[in-house]
Amino acid sequence: MSTDPIIQIRSLSKSYGAKTVLKHLTLDIYPGQVIGYIGPNGAGKSTTVKILTGLIPDFEGQVVINGLNMADNPQEIKKLIGYVPENAEIYEVLTPMEYLDFIGKLNNMEQDVITERSQKLLGAFGLSTNLNDRMDTFSKGMKQKVMLISGIIHNPQIIVLDEPLSGLDANAVITVKELIVRLSQEGKTIFYCSHMMDVVEKVSDRILLINKGEIVADGTFESLKQNHSDTLEQIFAKLTGRDTSSHETDAIMNAFD
Amino acid sequence: MIDKIFLWIIAQFNPVMERAGINTAQLGEILRVKLLIDDRRPRGIVAHKQNDKPKKTSNAWGTILVTLMFGSFYGIILFVFHRPMLAQTIYFSAFMVLMSLMLITDFTNVLIDVRDQYIIAPRPVNDRTVAVARILHISVYVLKLALVQGLPGIIMIGFIDGVAAVPLFFIQIVLATLLSIFIVNMVYLLLMRSVSAQKFKDIISYFQIAFSIFMFGGYRLLPKMIDMNTLSTYDLLNHKWAYFLPPVWIAAINEAVIHAGRSGLAGTGVAALGFLLPFVSIWFVIKVLAPGFNRTLSAIAMSDASVVGPENKKVKKRGLIDRIANFVASDPIENAGFRITWKLASRTREFKIKVYPQFAFIPVYFAYFMLSGNGGVGEQFTKIQHGRSYIFLLYFSSIILSAILQQISQSEKYKASWVYYALPIDKPGKILAGMFKAITILYILPFFILLTVTCVVIWGPQVINDVVLAFFLLQLYGIVMALFLVKGLPFSRPVLVKQAGGKVIITLLLMVVTFLFGWGHYILAQWETVIWICIIPAVLLYWVMMRYYAKQTWESIELSEID
Repeated sequence: MSTDPIIQIRSLSKSYGAKTVLKHLTLDIYPGQVIGYIGPNGAGKSTTVKILTGLIPDFEGQVVINGLNMADNPQEIKKLIGYVPENAEIYEVLTPMEYLDFIGKLNNMEQDVITERSQKLLGAFGLSTNLNDRMDTFSKGMKQKVMLISGIIHNPQIIVLDEPLSGLDANAVITVKELIVRLSQEGKTIFYCSHMMDVVEKVSDRILLINKGEIVADGTFESLKQNHSDTLEQIFAKLTGRDTSSHETDAIMNAFD
Repeated sequence: MIDKIFLWIIAQFNPVMERAGINTAQLGEILRVKLLIDDRRPRGIVAHKQNDKPKKTSNAWGTILVTLMFGSFYGIILFVFHRPMLAQTIYFSAFMVLMSLMLITDFTNVLIDVRDQYIIAPRPVNDRTVAVARILHISVYVLKLALVQGLPGIIMIGFIDGVAAVPLFFIQIVLATLLSIFIVNMVYLLLMRSVSAQKFKDIISYFQIAFSIFMFGGYRLLPKMIDMNTLSTYDLLNHKWAYFLPPVWIAAINEAVIHAGRSGLAGTGVAALGFLLPFVSIWFVIKVLAPGFNRTLSAIAMSDASVVGPENKKVKKRGLIDRIANFVASDPIENAGFRITWKLASRTREFKIKVYPQFAFIPVYFAYFMLSGNGGVGEQFTKIQHGRSYIFLLYFSSIILSAILQQISQSEKYKASWVYYALPIDKPGKILAGMFKAITILYILPFFILLTVTCVVIWGPQVINDVVLAFFLLQLYGIVMALFLVKGLPFSRPVLVKQAGGKVIITLLLMVVTFLFGWGHYILAQWETVIWICIIPAVLLYWVMMRYYAKQTWESIELSEID
């Protein structure tokens, strides 16, 4: 691990009107780390991701990525990042090849490189027979694969994945999990957001738990376990303030009476 | 093909745009893809996804044909008026109004493509490039339509002003289109700066409603009000206000170039304005309005997800709606149909845009008849007061009912209707009955009450029995129409532009029936008691038909595929 952090977040705050979503977030992320970013709904996860990927330009505090300041150089930073958003929005009337060509060109890649890489990547994800089919006939999993490829096609330094496994079948899940490990070995930094604790537990080598706009836990799975409990699910429940007793399920069952 | 030409033309401006801070490679790529998407987007038929490729192209040809016919229709204006500039001014007014209308309806869809937020925004593309790509995209999209619509005019002008006027007219059309785009565009951008995202969407939809009413009214009433005799000696540039009308600028170009002799200094000045302004406005949009454009857009795109806030204000009203719902639709399933229709209809923007203008058409129609006789308005009014034309006014309202019924089963978010299929509903007719009642109480009843008040004011209280009879007869008409034409549950089917062929005949038949109803009523209306007596069988028949309607089974409902 190199000593210079690739992502430096200093006292990052963001609020919508009176509602504060992020409260003075400060973080250093190093190259090659796989960050598991977890937290309950509305904790500020997707806001963090959107600020990191340059989608939300107005925020307080500092975000420095690879020595570039987000406030001054959003376009340069975007070149370093591959982003796979949560809801699979895609131009469905295009074919995967056309779509990837479009994305590649927006990333200033050469035509030949795009074509070759797209073919290889689509083939690797088992879509080689669908290269030139329009995506409106695709299943959710197939679209998700194209989304994943479009996030990594320009070989970015940082990959931000937001629920990347949704809709994928079991085999594709294995592929993606292995892929994450391989990419981090290559020195890529991966920012992995998910609600699926078991996956986060396995793929990440550093887990960040955010609750109400603040980081409440930061460390490897092992170190989190020592302080709290045995599974990430339990740690999550404890730190985000869910009662250990079964009050909520009780309330649900009681509703039928 | 045409797209490639447009892209080539745009590429000629690359050096200029490069200097303005636009990445032209990305710009070209975004435009190319956006146009490709437009091309592939099925325009009418959304429902059948596969194996309808030949149909799609024929559909496109149909659109072109209709547009051409429309263009020729108002191209005739060019021949009619012989005063200098007048014909072209009127032609370009019609042209620009139509273009703006089209823009206003399409702009939000093209501008606010939510997907861009996830596909383009995370890539290294700057604000200016995206903003300009959007403007150029809509320009190309509209110019294609404009050229088809203007084609008849281009040919016609050749006969009027000679061959030299043809290429000039082409340029005039392009300029007029650009000008419309920038006017609409600036209104949009300025609106977006000053109001919140949610309000903006509302304002746009009211714009659309107001505009279609205005179009319809103008189209019907203007010819009645214009006096051809005064027009033949009319000199446009004698009036100061004429200098402020964009169509005058465009028309002046023809005047300045083709009829240079009779065009004065003022005319030439105005022509120069028409030529330069589109370029000034593009500069203005890029330099002043484009920055920060994406931010506002993304706010609008995202605002859809969080519209929980303002809806909760109507708690008080709910009590009344509840009571109405429980009173007219006591069966639980029917009640559910009633409530879902009521709520979706009153909250769905797309539905309102299509239905609300229909209400305004009725008074416009009526005004049309007021003006259609000879003599002044006052004279006409007394004549109407002594007649029984209110009966036609009542039966005209059938167009509202049929418009609602045609729209009620369609929705852009039709997939949510899976619940109907997943739930144990034995007779979907119950939902339909609830739906029908909801439409009646939400739209038809208030409208009829308003009509009653108006009619009583003009004609006196003896019209009340006519209103009651007409109401029930129209209900019958509505049920029959719903039985044959509304085969889907409320908001459960993808939006279709055209009706299937066989249904046109039923629609026509139903129109004949309404006409007969109205005519019969008109004849019987001379005997007041007959009308009162007629109400009894009408109510009975309504009750029977409603029962029958509620008994429809799943067999009579066309299911739409949901994936």
